[in-house]
Amino acid sequence: MITLEDVSKSFGGFRAVQGLSVSIEDGEIFGLVGPNGAGKTTTLRMMTGLLTPDKGRVMLGGHDMAKEPLAAKSILGYIPDRAFLYEKLTAREFLVFTAAIYGITKNTAVRRVEELLLLLGIGDVGDSLIESFSQGMRQRLLFASALIHEPQVLLIDEPFTGLDPFGVKTLKDIITDLGGRGVSVFLATHSLHIAEELCHRIGFINKGTLAAVRQRDEIRQTEGGLEALFLRISG
Amino acid sequence: MRAPLLAQPMLLGLRNSLTAPVILRRLPFAIIGALFWLGLYLATYRLLSFIRGIEFMGELFSERLFSMTFFSLTGFLVLSNVITAISAFYLSRDLPFLFSKPVPTGAIVRIKTVETGLDTSWMVITFLAPVFVAYGASYGAPAIYYAASLAAILLFLALTTGAGVLIAHLLTAMFPARRSRDVMLGAITLLFLAFYFIIKSALPPDLSAPDAVLQSFTRFSPDSPFLPDYWITRTLFPLLKGGRPDLLYGIVLFSNACFSLLLSSTFGRMVYRRNIEKILPGEKTPGKGLTAGIFPSVDSSFLYKDGITFFRDTGQWSQIFVILALVAVYLYNFKSIPLDALLGLSPFAVQIMVGINLLMAGLVLSAVAARFLYTAVSLEGRAFWIVKSSPVDVRRMLWLKFLSGFPPVAALIISLVAMTNYAMHVQGALMVLSALTGLLLSATVCGLATGLGAAYPKFRHDNIASVSVSIGAMVFMVIAFGVVAATIAAESWIFYLHAVRPGGSHASQVVLLLLALAAVHAAAFYLPMRIGAERLCRDADTLGL
Repeated sequence: MITLEDVSKSFGGFRAVQGLSVSIEDGEIFGLVGPNGAGKTTTLRMMTGLLTPDKGRVMLGGHDMAKEPLAAKSILGYIPDRAFLYEKLTAREFLVFTAAIYGITKNTAVRRVEELLLLLGIGDVGDSLIESFSQGMRQRLLFASALIHEPQVLLIDEPFTGLDPFGVKTLKDIITDLGGRGVSVFLATHSLHIAEELCHRIGFINKGTLAAVRQRDEIRQTEGGLEALFLRISG
Repeated sequence: MRAPLLAQPMLLGLRNSLTAPVILRRLPFAIIGALFWLGLYLATYRLLSFIRGIEFMGELFSERLFSMTFFSLTGFLVLSNVITAISAFYLSRDLPFLFSKPVPTGAIVRIKTVETGLDTSWMVITFLAPVFVAYGASYGAPAIYYAASLAAILLFLALTTGAGVLIAHLLTAMFPARRSRDVMLGAITLLFLAFYFIIKSALPPDLSAPDAVLQSFTRFSPDSPFLPDYWITRTLFPLLKGGRPDLLYGIVLFSNACFSLLLSSTFGRMVYRRNIEKILPGEKTPGKGLTAGIFPSVDSSFLYKDGITFFRDTGQWSQIFVILALVAVYLYNFKSIPLDALLGLSPFAVQIMVGINLLMAGLVLSAVAARFLYTAVSLEGRAFWIVKSSPVDVRRMLWLKFLSGFPPVAALIISLVAMTNYAMHVQGALMVLSALTGLLLSATVCGLATGLGAAYPKFRHDNIASVSVSIGAMVFMVIAFGVVAATIAAESWIFYLHAVRPGGSHASQVVLLLLALAAVHAAAFYLPMRIGAERLCRDADTLGL
């Protein structure tokens, strides 16, 4: 479902990502971990079409992001690490707008909006302005907007920023459920315990290079677990 | 931690921004600024030479001009300080940082007061310096005059800053900060409008008689010993002539400046923290209004979002006041045209006025398009990642933005042209031609604005109004007005050939002109839209996302 082939990106003289290749199957939850500035966000931004790779290609559901960006983006849900939203809209209006730009029909959209507001625990603030939302509520709303069109690929950058334990539990359940329903999830995070708990496979990125990819079972059998592996690979 | 330490981020930021590339990039603006200084100096000097040359009254007029400069600046400076102070004290992004540190409220009040004063005053200093120097040169003033002028400007700025900050605290204690700032922006516009109408009504109808103009100018000038312009004039004017200053008014100016700062600082220490706590974000549920039950299609999605945002964001309204003021001045001027007298001067007076009318409408069109179409893409703000990562073709989005803005703008411009034509009793073919020209200009200028706004987007902004006065917007205004002027010139020439030089064969010239006009409009519409769309397809980081 997700394929990155020899993807590279530089900013000026700085090589943010170098020759990254990885393939993620339908229903697989893949975690990308690495220290600050390792290239996690740049990788995700290339996968969403926000950045264009200098080299290599990104394929989502068989669509090349460079050649068929609209087709690739139509099956994609993206949750960035910083939630810049339309502050003067209410949560419900924002979801209606998002549904409209994905071309969802009115009846389906109305049903999805209400379902997602309830599922993510923001039904009672659906008619409040986004500008008055806390970081956690924004994160929940971002998830709702990313799921409104029932994407086949979900890209998440730091999924649990600002969330309370209830929020973390809800989102973990949602991600696991999506994986079970065949959605490919690619998440970049610093939270090693969450990556270890959720992901089927974990990639270690350091200085723009994908240093290693390990299966969850493989990691669990390693002495010291994911933290030890992370420190060894990133060190 | 004290105020000087708190000023360090500002100073270090300034130092870090003074790199060679930044200086080189700003060099053209520095040169334009220097030329502006020189121009203002020469204009003031020449005006003074003329005024002082008037028999008997020359010196009085010169003094009145001096005091009027300060009188008009006092109101605008206080209002502008209020707006800046509301932003600096209550809406700036460093507040959570400052209030989470062991910093006394008084120190924050002091540094924010300095910030407000500097932000508001730099342009006034730029404007006043050549005026003072021109006065000094005209009178051959001694060095003490220049030193005293500098001190007077600084005291004047301190006084208005203190007053502005005090009013900002009072307003924020009563109303929400953002709304107070927007109301003040509206108040500034109304003040400009009032100032324009006062000047207009004070001036005699016949501006070709300098004596009458100067007489009304003298009558208009305020002369109250309770106002700072009076204190400054009484202090500085004697020095110009090499005499002794009236120290009493110098002391009055000094003590009032100190009192103003002291009062604002004391009051600020009393209410600042309470005001800040009051404006902390709470849950806001707006009325559903007209959007309830509406579900947009892909094509109307941006209109839906932008419409809701426009009506909820009071920060967007301030420039509506500016445009309304512009329209009011425009209509007022046409209402007061002595058309009958003009008809006696030229048989084509009405046609000439129709041309001027279209030119003026073009100015309004450029201003309206700068505000609503040029900013249309930047309005997405940093949330533009949503569009970039969704299956929305940015070319289509750009067209949707254009199609949302064009109809209301065209309706406004055609109505303005029709109303003013009607006031001049213009009917028939000339009325239709004017309306069609208005429609054509609206389409081209709206396309130009949408395209250039996309080519130079500014997604990181605090207030969308700031985008419509950015350098890119100025470039748009110049090109837009060039298109308007070229269109009116071409139409006027065709009319000239048809009405003044009939009989000759002008068909080929007219066809060429029309083709050239079509090419100008096509290029002014199509190229910016294309360049804008291409620029928006660039990487998010280069777009500031």
